[in-house]
Amino acid sequence: MSRPLEDILFGAPSPQAQAVTRAVSGIAAAVLLLLAAGIVFRFHAAGQLDARFWEFFAWPTTWAFLAKGLLGTLASSAMAAAIALALGLVLLVGRLARPRLVRWPSIALIEFLRGTPTLLLIYVCFLVLPSAGIKLSTYWMLTLPISLSTAAVVAEVYRAGVLAVPRGQTDAARSLGLTEAQVFFLVVFPQTLRYIIPALVAQLVIVVKDTTFGYVVTYGELMQNAKVLIANYHALVPVYLVVAALYCLVNYAISRASKRLGGPMH
Amino acid sequence: MSIKSILKSTVGALAIVTGGSVFAQGTPIDAAAFDALVAQGPVADAATIASSTWASKIKQAGTLRLGGTQTSNLFSLLNEKDGKARGFDAGLAQLVTRYILGDGAKYKFTQVTSSTREQVLINDQVDMVLATYSITPARAEKISFAGPYYTSQAGVLVKANNKVIQSYNDLAGKKAATQAGSTGPAILAQYAPKAAVQEFQTHQEALDALRQGRVDAYVTDYTLLLNALSLGTGDARLAGTPFGAQDPYGIGLPKGSDGVAFVNAFLKKLEADGTWAKLWTISIGQRTGSTAVPTPPPIP
Amino acid sequence: MGDVSRLLADYGPVFVQALFLTWKLTVISFVPGFLLGMVVTVLRLLPLPPLRFVLTVYVEIFRNIPSVALLIFIVFALPDLNVVIDYEPSVVLTLALVCSAFTADYLRAGINTIPGGQVEAALSLGMRPMRIITAVVLPQALRAVVQPMTSLLIALMLSTSLASQVPFPGRELTALVSKIATDSAAGIPAFAVAAAMYVATGLLIAWAGATLEKKARILR
Repeated sequence: MSRPLEDILFGAPSPQAQAVTRAVSGIAAAVLLLLAAGIVFRFHAAGQLDARFWEFFAWPTTWAFLAKGLLGTLASSAMAAAIALALGLVLLVGRLARPRLVRWPSIALIEFLRGTPTLLLIYVCFLVLPSAGIKLSTYWMLTLPISLSTAAVVAEVYRAGVLAVPRGQTDAARSLGLTEAQVFFLVVFPQTLRYIIPALVAQLVIVVKDTTFGYVVTYGELMQNAKVLIANYHALVPVYLVVAALYCLVNYAISRASKRLGGPMH
Repeated sequence: MSIKSILKSTVGALAIVTGGSVFAQGTPIDAAAFDALVAQGPVADAATIASSTWASKIKQAGTLRLGGTQTSNLFSLLNEKDGKARGFDAGLAQLVTRYILGDGAKYKFTQVTSSTREQVLINDQVDMVLATYSITPARAEKISFAGPYYTSQAGVLVKANNKVIQSYNDLAGKKAATQAGSTGPAILAQYAPKAAVQEFQTHQEALDALRQGRVDAYVTDYTLLLNALSLGTGDARLAGTPFGAQDPYGIGLPKGSDGVAFVNAFLKKLEADGTWAKLWTISIGQRTGSTAVPTPPPIP
Repeated sequence: MGDVSRLLADYGPVFVQALFLTWKLTVISFVPGFLLGMVVTVLRLLPLPPLRFVLTVYVEIFRNIPSVALLIFIVFALPDLNVVIDYEPSVVLTLALVCSAFTADYLRAGINTIPGGQVEAALSLGMRPMRIITAVVLPQALRAVVQPMTSLLIALMLSTSLASQVPFPGRELTALVSKIATDSAAGIPAFAVAAAMYVATGLLIAWAGATLEKKARILR
């Protein structure tokens, strides 16, 4: 493995350079600490460090309440992700099909779902579909548009992975007499998965982020529960900070887990 | 006494009381009294329920799907510690639930904002909406209203040190907050057409905007403004007296539902046996320092 | 089709205005976001552990935070810290911060594609590290990341729908569709028109990106 670029750029410094680097590091650290102190001071000056704004975080009921919201977020995300993975596969098969009658509508559908904002699709499920007679439950008004939007992106991720599988594999499989379906599902697709797991996990993170629009359709999830806490305790800054941190942690954990899953690549 | 005059005297009382910042964080609702009031509410007999398809459907489902708010201090605030919502709207909703299902807690709650209130009824996401919901002809085209169960007028809230705005007449060129989808935008268009309007999704967000200086004034239902004053931090005041047409609050129901007659009959019952007055005292009167109970508006 | 033409007759100019607003927000968020991302990438290369640590945290935060949560924090919570930012700058700031985090990530990956030998050669020629970064590393990294940056630009364009969640002066496409759907029965044609506009813009950006990529790509 070659060394990362910055090691090459800055590796093997002369003693003089080392001293300079250490000094500048020290200055940088001092500046950053000053910045952090400045932010804390700003909190203090605005009265945001008062106990009454933070004390309710010491109560288990507060965390139980937030956990309920988080559960709502995860319930919608998990289902949307599962549907997106499955539906994405269907769209992929359509996209790669030989007959134009199957391929072109698939391409159109993928481009349409990829090219519109998820928020717009959510508004459609909430405001427009009901007047056409389609009344979904609140849960599905959030989960369905997210899953459709993500399915299209997932289909393209699958496609990139399929195209990355060496041509030799398909040729060898065909020469062994496997049918097209067997070639795809037994040989190509399993190898595709290994290449694209990071991209799929990135999509999962996007799904979790999209669920924050739950309040648009009145679905109860973490953001909504945050607003109740704010109405009770008037602690805008602490509550939003904690909720933002929770989201970051959840998404970071998901991304981290993917690094474990990403197996050996060719 | 009409609600109008009650509101006027409430303001007077508040002005005196908030000077002493008695309500440092707002007087919390008397939870025990509230729960007791709901627990002794009437329960309908089988015949009454059978006479209404709306009520029968709810009885069969075993839960009443309610659209409301959890963040309105006087009308419906969720206490996340015991998971119960309390307030004037919350009380009425729980009384209706108890009336149909025998237990005031058997409702499934959906948080609505002023811009989603009609849609959740049209989408059949909820059975009824109790959320300081003003009856207007435009809304009555999409959904039906039971009630009115309360009336209010519009008011203007400004920061305490704002001497420039004394009433809605002074709003020209100023930034005014209001709730999206509420009667606020129409009232502003009529009474202060030159104001720069900013629409917010919830009452709390509009209040925060005023407090943070993003807007100069907040125009909405007078009672909601009393809400804000009841928190007694002393940095807001009402500019001028209530103005505009009497704003009737109604209970939102699906269009053409026979629940309207059912709920109206129930409301008349509550008003006759004094429960309405007691609920008002517990959720609004005691917390805004007003002792005179208004008479409820007549139900058609 | 009749519905759509009636809609366009009533709302045509408003739709065009909304489209321009969407484009405007995309551009004024992307440019600072991209530049900031470049600065972050370069700073992360410097051998200063405290700086690298803070910038890594920065990138992780703004990659993982939902844009709506960030926007709500900026619009509703920051004023309590006495930082009041108007609505349009708030939306631009949100989008730019998120864009910068993803840019930093992609550029980093682009830098990784550069063979180490080039840097060693530049060093042996006596070039200073900063000069190497600006003359050798960055140009090649930028040429290598045209494709992911195109996707990022399209995603950013779609994210401008965020503006519908705050009292924004003026309506972009999503806010317009939501208003038309609430006020009238023309929700479906409005959605069709807005979707067509979004998809067309996305395809345009994708085409431009693909053309740029073919010209700029480095074949090794």
